Amino acid sequence: MSFETDFWKDEARRKTWDDIVPGEPRKTIPYVLTLEAIQRYCRAVGETNPLYFDEAYAKRTPWKGIIAPPSIHILLMFACTPADDWMRSPGTINAGQSWSYNIPARPGDTITLQARALDKFIRKDRLFVIHDNVFFNQHGEVICSGRGWTIRPR
Amino acid sequence: MATAFERLTVGQEIHGAAFAVTRETIREFCDASLDYNPLHLDDAYMQRSFGKTQFGGIIMHGMTNFGLITRMLTDWLYPLGALHRRLETRWRAPVRPGDTITPRARIVQKRSTEKSDWVVLEVEVRNQRGETVATGEALAEFPRRA
Repeated sequence: MSFETDFWKDEARRKTWDDIVPGEPRKTIPYVLTLEAIQRYCRAVGETNPLYFDEAYAKRTPWKGIIAPPSIHILLMFACTPADDWMRSPGTINAGQSWSYNIPARPGDTITLQARALDKFIRKDRLFVIHDNVFFNQHGEVICSGRGWTIRPR
Repeated sequence: MATAFERLTVGQEIHGAAFAVTRETIREFCDASLDYNPLHLDDAYMQRSFGKTQFGGIIMHGMTNFGLITRMLTDWLYPLGALHRRLETRWRAPVRPGDTITPRARIVQKRSTEKSDWVVLEVEVRNQRGETVATGEALAEFPRRA
């Protein structure tokens, strides 16, 4: 499946701040995490740790093979989010995030996301929505869980 | 012999690598994260007003800060046999092409629980002018060896 990179295209179908119901689950899409996608992410933030690149090295570590860096949820968030989801609304500003890490994601994992808006409020004339997310691997194990503060576009 | 956890001291600093932000690194981050929000791509769109904020041109993804802080922490923790367990960040100022940003961390607390040993760190990212662009808090675990 190809990823729609034009975030304007589905804009009319997306929920605005008024429509978003805190507590309501978001529709999400399973995503197969490839070694290529892990390494593309690593290169974009200057990661050079052989744990992410060198299988022979990684096999000798407690992880017994290549893993993704903890912050791979940055990719997983958009990979598991449908094109008409409000997380993709142009002008959505990320004000901060918090994440807890359990086990690493690995190349070949089929990742699923359970997500929802948790809260919405108005502060300093800005429209906020808090989103709440848990990523799982194909064994039902939690990879990581986190929250984000977004400022909604008008 | 003292463990890695025992050797740590409150106040100890960890320094990450400097990262030079360009239009190309922002574009690479779009492809790596699948975040193609026009905030990071479209200079014309960025001429508009965002409430009280006027950016005037494209800005870096805030999550690049998050990735750089993570890289600093894991590069420090993995060789010590320790684990990155949590990171919370807030963005304080936008980062633009041409900026160079550098993360750092400082140990603010060591805490032992029933089953493990933990370190709380304050983290921040500054630009080349010394302005703080991101702040936050991290938690690392130093598992006890049997």
